[in-house]
Amino acid sequence: MDEDTLFIHKFLDGDEKGFEALVNKYQDRVLNIACSIAGKDRDGEDIAQETFLKVYYGLKSFKRNAQFSTWLYRIAVNTAYSCMRKRDRYVKDENVLEASISTDAGPKDALLIKEKQAMLKKALMKVPVKFRAAMVLKDIEGLSYAEISKVLNCRIGTVESKIYRARQFLKEELLKIEGGAI
Amino acid sequence: MKECAKIKRMLSRYIDKEASNSDIKRIEAHLGLCASCKNELSSLARVKGLIAGVERKVLPQNYLAARVREKALDMRYTQRKLSLAGMGSFARRLIPVPIAVIVASIAFIIVVSAQTANKYSFEDHVFSGNPATAETALKLILGTQNYIEEVD
Repeated sequence: MDEDTLFIHKFLDGDEKGFEALVNKYQDRVLNIACSIAGKDRDGEDIAQETFLKVYYGLKSFKRNAQFSTWLYRIAVNTAYSCMRKRDRYVKDENVLEASISTDAGPKDALLIKEKQAMLKKALMKVPVKFRAAMVLKDIEGLSYAEISKVLNCRIGTVESKIYRARQFLKEELLKIEGGAI
Repeated sequence: MKECAKIKRMLSRYIDKEASNSDIKRIEAHLGLCASCKNELSSLARVKGLIAGVERKVLPQNYLAARVREKALDMRYTQRKLSLAGMGSFARRLIPVPIAVIVASIAFIIVVSAQTANKYSFEDHVFSGNPATAETALKLILGTQNYIEEVD
């Protein structure tokens, strides 16, 4: 029995510590997926909270033949999509980007890093959302194509195509911003 | 050119180390001959490297768990409140019924106990030796007469 299954059993037996352990284990991964898809740190935290809330109420119906992480990432991606749809109804501008930097570099270097990160995020947000999630799961979370296909519920060939298209978009966006530095 | 298009589409898989051995051989053989595809490979690899270098956020332990727990409790409370509110109009209509029953019961107890305390009962009448006519007995039993009517 793997660690996740133990935590799930603990939670389903009425011990909230099991759920806490699951959240602590996956919170950063879910947060980073959410932030990379939705583009805003504040939204990212809300998406992560919403994701785990769905897990809290849905864990009873979780089918054990799937991996918990796959199920969790699927919820996170869908929640991020749903949050973006709601947000885009009110705010059309996606250029408001926040970047929180924790670095030991000096103030000048930190500023440069911050600018670079903001630029990267801005370019990432230009990648169509239907391709973005696959790239985020691959390049930020390091999932395999097979895992991504399960999370996004599509064929491996589609995952490959989505990642390729996303990188193409990102390359072009970075070229526009950096002016040929790629 | 057709081969280039095919190879370019396979480059992501190649960079991600997801290509099969036969594909790797095919890609590498092509890259040795095609500068355009080689450039494409280095661009895609750089893009992958940049994205992998996106700053990762880290939350303090138990931070999100506490937020989720708080939200779950809040939702449970709201749900309970909503379910009570949903029944509210019905419940409000029913509120006078138990109140009326309680008030009527209290009034009944007060009146009956007052009447019982002062009542000249049928048994008292029989033991008093006064003649018990059918009319007097009925009145006494029904409680419509609670005093001794002087019988000459």
